[in-house]
Amino acid sequence: MAGAPAATAPARPAGATSPVRPAGSVRRRQRLRRALTGWAFSAPFTVLFVVFMALPVMASLVMSFTDLRSTDLRNPLAVNVVGIDNYIRLFSDDLFLRSSVNTLVFVVVGVPLTMVLALAAATALNSGLVRFRALFRVGFYLPVVTSIVAIAVVWRFLLDPEIGLVNNLLRLVGIDGPSWLFDSRLALPSLIVMAAWRNFGFLMVIFLAGLQAVPADLYEAATLDGATRWQQFRNVTLPMLRPTLLFGGVVTGIGYLQLFEEPFVMTQGGPLSSTLSVSFHIYNQFGFGNYGYAAAASYVLFLAIVALSVVQFRLLGERN
Amino acid sequence: MRSRRLAAAAGVVLAASVALAGCGRDSGGGQEEAKSVGAGKASGDITVWAMGSEGEKLAEFAKEFSTANPDAKVSVTAVPWDAAHQKIASAIAAKQTPDVSMIGTTWQGEFAKTGALDPTPSDLIKKDEFFPGAWDTTIVDSTSYGVPWYVETRLIYYRKDLAAKAGFPDGPKTWDDLKAMAKGMKEKAGAKWGLNLQPGKTGSWQSVLPFAWSNGADVASADKLSFDTPEMTEALAYYQSFFTEGLSPTALPDGSLEPGFVKGEIGAFISGPWHMGIVEEQGGAGFKDKYAVAQMPTKKSSTSFIGGSNLAVFKDAKNRDGGWKFVQWLSKPEVQVKWYQAVKDLPAVQSAWTDPALTGDTFLAAFGQQLKSAKAPPSIPTWEQIAAAFDLEVEKLCKQNADASATAKAIQEKASAIGTGS
Repeated sequence: MAGAPAATAPARPAGATSPVRPAGSVRRRQRLRRALTGWAFSAPFTVLFVVFMALPVMASLVMSFTDLRSTDLRNPLAVNVVGIDNYIRLFSDDLFLRSSVNTLVFVVVGVPLTMVLALAAATALNSGLVRFRALFRVGFYLPVVTSIVAIAVVWRFLLDPEIGLVNNLLRLVGIDGPSWLFDSRLALPSLIVMAAWRNFGFLMVIFLAGLQAVPADLYEAATLDGATRWQQFRNVTLPMLRPTLLFGGVVTGIGYLQLFEEPFVMTQGGPLSSTLSVSFHIYNQFGFGNYGYAAAASYVLFLAIVALSVVQFRLLGERN
Repeated sequence: MRSRRLAAAAGVVLAASVALAGCGRDSGGGQEEAKSVGAGKASGDITVWAMGSEGEKLAEFAKEFSTANPDAKVSVTAVPWDAAHQKIASAIAAKQTPDVSMIGTTWQGEFAKTGALDPTPSDLIKKDEFFPGAWDTTIVDSTSYGVPWYVETRLIYYRKDLAAKAGFPDGPKTWDDLKAMAKGMKEKAGAKWGLNLQPGKTGSWQSVLPFAWSNGADVASADKLSFDTPEMTEALAYYQSFFTEGLSPTALPDGSLEPGFVKGEIGAFISGPWHMGIVEEQGGAGFKDKYAVAQMPTKKSSTSFIGGSNLAVFKDAKNRDGGWKFVQWLSKPEVQVKWYQAVKDLPAVQSAWTDPALTGDTFLAAFGQQLKSAKAPPSIPTWEQIAAAFDLEVEKLCKQNADASATAKAIQEKASAIGTGS
């Protein structure tokens, strides 16, 4: 920091007192000094970024092309380069394919569900429920800030086939509820509902802010034109919310593609791998010590996240 | 500009891969010679890592060692189980290991393969003193890389009252007995489930393999995996029959085994010595008389699973000799008995079991008896991964009614794809 004035101060006299020198060299020197100053200022961040982000990312990319395993810890350079072998193996790995399908289902069902819930709650809070707005806002947001471990414990109780609240309520209306988390067809849907419940509060707050930014005169004009409330929602609210919806969709999509905590604490990927997600599979592979293979799987997941975000920008982004 | 940058990046990657290709994996391996340990008392600092309650109690316990070896100072670091694998792996990578560490038996293959563990000096540690199954867990590529510290094995826990009503007052002796007892408990004694078996999920191989071993199956050796055998298939079919006949639950919620056993809803289950304390605590006073433990039922033999932890000394240890002397001290029969009294860890040294502290309890004696023949899977680095695949196939077997021979084939296929890691 202290270097900054010291670096710039001599530059000016040098340029002012020696008109003999060609102007180009002075300017070049000035530019160099300024560049150095800039780098000096950004050095703390740059160094941290290179050491703790860029290098590990590069290392993991290189790692994904080798057969590095945990038994190579003492000689991490004495491994074989296997090219794209890890990537080819991934797509013949039953569990990886299964986990990809599970994750895809989770995203395709979970993201719209979460967004619809959030938008519904935000709209309700924005229009009707004025009196207890703060209370509802806190209530809906609470699951977002609660630890997943606590949520998992509560939901495991709720979904318990014998003593759970859900099945007891179903029993009241004469339905014999299934064992939600132990049934390979119901476990993933259960997790989707739980995740939507847990995450919609965050989006609700964002959407509420978006709704409040919609100018009231637009609604007045629409009312004068005789638009119904649904028409107002379709033709005024939704178009005005498009950037907010895009943000919500991208953020939720990125989070849901990395699904890990819910199956980790609720089902351990079971029953019969029906809740195994890609991240969970990668976690397991790292645990088994297959570092190269797990790194390759991580890059596939990364590409999927990029692809999903691009698709969402195409669908919801600015239209000319 | 952009293409130049791309070219530079490609160049870096290329250079890195060439550099990596230059130092490929050397085939290496094979038997390793153990160096001897100098005579005399231990001296200097000895750093030890231990997990769980062992980690908490060892520092206090080791004071006696320091009294006998005044020049030596033992410093124990307690490591939580969750973090232990990662911590040891990082220490090995950084070559900053302690002198001695407790090592889970299923990690032995992986850590020994890194070349970080010191071969067990045979002049100091005598193989024959330990349970053979426990000693086998230290062997990697025919070299021993550690010493069994404590052991555990699995027995059949059963309710005496229900077993008597089912016609087996002394517990099951054979496979047929076990099946008939489970059936009787359900049909005659009114239990909801005759026998709780793990329907897949992590660690179910520990309940399945004893049946396979008891049927004479030799599922895996250091360089060969053979899950696809008639003995294995028969064991899998037997295991499956408990589910198809409705004697074992496929979806028992976590934590409802012990209350079910105490209430008499579950007639029997398979587990290790820690469950004695749990059911006696939940059952309250007098429950100790209501249940008993039986040896694994016999088909060709009665062979259970042996687990526990080993102690290993690292090659990068600063005080190798001191480390081994401390390990040797912990393996003395009298110290093993004291250690049992301190933390209830069952001794891995056979002669410790003649001590009245252990012979006095008939339940414990049953565990001691089973330990003599109990087996462990081979110490190969890929075992955890093979076991996970095994658990998944067992889950299909129990819950989806997959065919037993198809299950054996599927396990074999997955296991060979994973390999033995050598």
